[in-house]
Formats: sequence, structure tokens, C-alpha cells
Amino acid sequence: MYLNPYSNTHFFSFFGILLQRLLAFCSGQLPFAELASDEVQILVLIGVALSSALVGSFLVLRKMTMLANALSHTILLGIVVVYLLFHELFHLRAFFIASLVTGILTTFLTEFLTKVIRLQEDASIGLVFTSLFATGILLINLFFPNTHIGIELVMGNVDALQKNDLLLVYTTLGMNVLAFTLFFKEFKLTTFDRALSSSLGLSPTLYNYFLMVLTSATAISAFRSVGVFMVLAFFVVPVLIARLFTHTLSTLIYLSMGIGGLSALVGVALSRHIFTIFQVGLSTGGIVVCTLLLFYLIAIPFALKRRVATSALYRAVK
Amino acid sequence: MINFFTDPFLRAPTIGAMLMCFASGVVGVLVFVQRRSLLGETLSHATYPGVTLAVVAAAFLGLDEWLPLFILSGALLSALLGLLVMHFLKLRLKVREDSALCLVLAAFFGVGVTIASGVQFTHTAQFLKIQAYLYGQVATMTDIHIAIYGGLSLLIVAMVFLFYKELQSLFFDRPFTTSRGIASWGIDTLFCVIVALALVIGIRSVGVVLMSAMLIAPAASARQYTNRLSLMFLFAGFFGLISGFFGSYLSVVLSEVFPGRSFATGPMIVLVASTITLLSLAFAPKKGLAIRYFRIASFRFNRLQENILKAIWRHEKEKISLGELAECQGRSRQYIKLVLFRLMARGWIKSSSANLYTLTPEGHQQGGRIIRLHRLWEVYLVNYIGVGSERVHKNAEEIEHILSPELEKKLTRLLDNPERDPHNQPIPQSEGHVS
Repeated sequence: MYLNPYSNTHFFSFFGILLQRLLAFCSGQLPFAELASDEVQILVLIGVALSSALVGSFLVLRKMTMLANALSHTILLGIVVVYLLFHELFHLRAFFIASLVTGILTTFLTEFLTKVIRLQEDASIGLVFTSLFATGILLINLFFPNTHIGIELVMGNVDALQKNDLLLVYTTLGMNVLAFTLFFKEFKLTTFDRALSSSLGLSPTLYNYFLMVLTSATAISAFRSVGVFMVLAFFVVPVLIARLFTHTLSTLIYLSMGIGGLSALVGVALSRHIFTIFQVGLSTGGIVVCTLLLFYLIAIPFALKRRVATSALYRAVK
Repeated sequence: MINFFTDPFLRAPTIGAMLMCFASGVVGVLVFVQRRSLLGETLSHATYPGVTLAVVAAAFLGLDEWLPLFILSGALLSALLGLLVMHFLKLRLKVREDSALCLVLAAFFGVGVTIASGVQFTHTAQFLKIQAYLYGQVATMTDIHIAIYGGLSLLIVAMVFLFYKELQSLFFDRPFTTSRGIASWGIDTLFCVIVALALVIGIRSVGVVLMSAMLIAPAASARQYTNRLSLMFLFAGFFGLISGFFGSYLSVVLSEVFPGRSFATGPMIVLVASTITLLSLAFAPKKGLAIRYFRIASFRFNRLQENILKAIWRHEKEKISLGELAECQGRSRQYIKLVLFRLMARGWIKSSSANLYTLTPEGHQQGGRIIRLHRLWEVYLVNYIGVGSERVHKNAEEIEHILSPELEKKLTRLLDNPERDPHNQPIPQSEGHVS
């Protein structure tokens, strides 16, 4: 057992040590096996943030964020059922099945309630995810007695992360990158012009399902580190920040990925800093969300100023 | 089951849960009718940092006996703050509704989690109190809680009752409300306060995570039974009440059946409520899915009966066989047999010999009536709407199953009781005879 090199470090010295170790790693002096727990956390959270920003850009633009909220609840049922069937969480097969089934089932049930039973859309979403989530909690209570899984699900637990989690998170990231690179044009078209895409033979519904499956995969890959609800902040906040500064889709995606990754890095450093100074171990996932919020708060005045300037320019031209 | 109301340990949780769910059921209608159900989801999560801060503050100030009040006010304030933030995002930053909802939900919840994790290992008792609000816990409630929560539930119901007219007019016609001099922003504020209050009360029994279900499910069930707003409030309150009772009942019973495991009340209440909703969506009279499909199926069955009656009527001279009927209706012989069986039971046809069928006098009259409706409609289409006589048959083929006796009378009068249709076929008179 080796000592965690980051214990008792402050905010800036954290980055110093990180840089040193990165250089050592690049020059081959530091084997991959000696990854410190803070570094695992950084890697996992950055992976989650990148995936989320990528998926989130399209969710925000398609006005589907509340469906993502529904998914963040229903993945619980997916995770529990798959765990009961396969008795393992890290297995990629189990993971893929869980995300596929949850994504499709949630979307299908919601559409069924809206289109066949003719319940209004907001109520259908709300009804489906709350009942599936309640079923999930009931199953947990029945099959896993004496666990705090209910609480950990909500809070996330970065300290329990292992290198296996890296595999899961980066498989998801790879899948997302691949999907959005291959089908970028299709996603773009079905997002911005449904009529044109339908007439070209691209079904917007099909891509809705596709996006929902990717979203549920991302949420499942994130639930061990940040819990099922806070991942929503990873989906939405970076995109909304980026949205203040750009109107170009590709810039939006890169910018929000950058913001997400940066806040993950800063969040872990902040968490370590607070632990060093106050001896209080705060939830790192929560801190990353707070960091994201802080970024948003900093960005808002710039955006408002820009907006005032644009409207003044608009008036002058007119 | 009766001892849930008399037992000193079960009484408070049971009655408390019922009152809370009653209030959220009533308020849910307000949200449901405006199609803003997801507002409840966001605001319930937005109460979480308020709850955590209240628990922590009460512990630091040493005012634990005032904890319920601390939590209520903390949760209410943080829900209202969430509303303000959403307002700012939408108006000033032009963020879309769904993104604003999602942002406030996740951000407030994240802040709450961060604060809660701060006391996780240092103040375990407080941490457990906070976590009880995630999935709801009524077991620890006492008679004092009934007084507080019951009083607040009644306050909410009273507010809805007092401002019924204002709230009602706001849902259905905004410009009209404004023209009557009711300040739109005033009602909006009232609405938000009522919703936030209901959530703040409800999270004690249902929990932050699932609270929105208790706004949606009772209202969605109630909508299946009535079109009137006032009745909807009643139904939704009633459904909330029984979900609250059976939810806490289940959570107690399950904990007894599986000793050593705790079953939070929230998921149980929500499962009961959504079961009620699913049953209502499927089987409610008039609007239920199963009922709707049954109506469609029985209409089709009736139509086939009438078509077969018509077919036999047309071929009354030569008897018609089962095979011929199956062929001209394009249905399987089994199905046709079923329909013929039904027609025989009604006494409209009889089988003279093996698989050959003729009409009884009564059946003759029925078949004639359908032919009459068909041909009357054709006359009407040609004479009054000016449709070419070669194009009227198909439409008449449909309408003949729908026209009621009153409409038939009116058509007869309007068309002056014609004797021939546009194809020069005789129109049977009301008794079914061709004159």
C-alpha cells in the first residue's frame, strides 16, 4: 500500500502534484497501476462530464431535458433488474442491456401514455418515471436488505470508485463520440428541421430513441460517481453556459465539453482542498455541480452585457 | 386495518400521511390542468437544500424541538428561491422552459447533497434526519405532527376553496381574467405559493425524490372520471387520501413480513397511487382505454350484424348460405357463425335447413330499416349536397349504422318521404315493406 500523494494538499499544490505526476507518467517513470484515488476520480468525472456534455447539447437543443430527468430515475430499475439477473455491475454486457432496455422502455411507455391513452405529455413523463423508480426502490428493499444503496444512488460515492469504473465510463464516452461522429449530420437535421428530415426519410422518432439510449448509457455510467440525479447538472449546465457565448452547434459541443471537463478537474481539487483545511469530506459529485453553478454565475454578467451590446447595435443599425 | 386509526403508534403516521396526500392531490389538479406537472418535480427537488440547511441550522442553534418548523420554512424558502431562479433564467437569459426546470432541479439538489455530505460523518443523527426526507418516513411522526401537517393541509384546501374562482378563471382564459381586473401576477404568485406549500408538507411522507408523483397521479386519475373542475378537486383529494392510507399501511405490513428491512413510505404511496391511475386509465367509464376499445369492438360487431341482415334481406327470394355470407363480408366462417348465432338469439333470423338462413318478420323489418336509412341518405346527398349519384353509395354504407330514429324522422320529413333512391331502387317504408 502506498501513500496517497495528494493527502494534505491545498488547491494549487494539488495541481502542482498532478502536473508532476503527469510528467512522470508520460516519461514512463510512473506505472498505470499506481494511479492514486484522486486521479481515478478526476479521470472518471472528466469522462462523465465529456459524455454528458456531448449528449446534453442535443438534449437541450431538442427540448428533451425533462425526458433525461425521467431517464435518470428509471435507470434505477434497469440497474437493479440487470444486477439481479447477472449479479455484477461492471460487466459490459449487463451495462449495455441495462441502458438499452431502460432507454427504450422509458421512451416507449411515455409515448404509449401520450399517444394511445391520450394523457397529456408532462403527466405521462411524470407518471412513468415515478412509478418505475418506486418499483426499483421496492426491489432494492426486497432483495438487498441493510444496504444504503438508496442513499448512495442519490449522492454518488467517488471514494468507492475503482479502475473498473474507468473502463465503463470511457467505453460510454467512446460510444458517444462514435455515435455523434458517425451520425452528426442526422442528429443535426432531426434536431433543427424535423419536417425536412422526415421528408428525406430520416425518422426523428428513431433518433429520439437513439439519443435516449445514449443518455441512459451515460447516466448509468455516471451513477456510481455522481448518483442518478446530479448527472442532470452535467447534462444541462455546461451546455447552458456554452449557449450564452455561441450559436454554432459544433462550437457549442466543444465548449460545453471543455467546461464540463474543467469543472470536474476543479471540483476534485476543491474537494481535496476542503478536506485538507476543514477535515470535512464533502461529496465530490456535489462539489462539481457547485463548481458548474459557480461558472454559470460568473458567465451570466458577460452574457447579459453582450446581449445589451447586441441590442444597442441592433437599434443603431435600425 | 381499523387499528391503524386507533393504535397510538400507528395513528399519527397513518392520519398524517393521509392528510398530506389529500392536500397534494388537491393541489395536483392546479398543476395538472395547466399542463405543468414537471414544475412539481423541479420544486420538490428544490426543497432539498432548504431541508438540509434547516436541519443543520437547528442542530447548531440547539433548537431541535423546533425542527419541524425549521424544516417547513427552510423547504418553503428554498422552493420559492428555485421558482425565482427559474423565472430569471426564462425571462432574462431566454433559457427554454425544460432546460430551466432541469437546471434548477439538478443544481439545487446538488447543493443539497453537498451540504448533507458535510454532516454525514460528523453529525450522523442529523444526516439520517435529512435522508429520511429523500424517500419519506412517517413512522416517527407523533400527534403534534398531525396538528401541524393537518393544519397546513387544511390551510391549502381552504386557500383553493377561497380563491376557487380566481384560480379557475386563470386556467381557462388568461385575457378574460385580466379584463376582469384580477391581477395576473397575483394569481400566479398565489398558485406558486400553494404548490410550494403542498410540496413542503408532502415531502415528509412521500420524500423529495418521488413527491411529484403525488401531484400528478391523483389528478390524472381524477381526470378520467369527470370533466368538471370542482369534481376533479374532490376526486383527486379522495385518491390522494386512499393512496396515503394504503401506502403507509403497506410500508408497515411489509416491514413486519420482512423483518430487519425498512420500507420507506414514499415509494409505497407512489406505487399505490400509480396503480390507481393505471386502473383508471384503463377502465374508467367513458374514457378508459379498455372501455374505449370495447365500444369500438361492439360497434364493429353491430355493424357486421346489420350488414349480414342487409345481405339476407336483399336475397330473400333465394336462401343464402353461410359460405356465401362469409365470402361477401370477407370474414372467416367462424366469426360469421358467431354473428348469425347472435342474430338468431335476437329472433331476427332462423335457419330453415343446414346452413341456409331466412329472416323472421321482425328481422325483415330491421333489415328494411337499414336499407331505408342507406337509401334515404343517398337521396339526401344527391338532392341537398349535390353529390353525384355514382359517388354516394360508399358514404351511405357507413352512415346507415349511425343514423338514429330521430334523424330518420327528420330526413323523411325533409325529403318528403321519397319512394325511390337515386339509383331508382325502392325505399322500404318505416315498417320495412316496399310499397
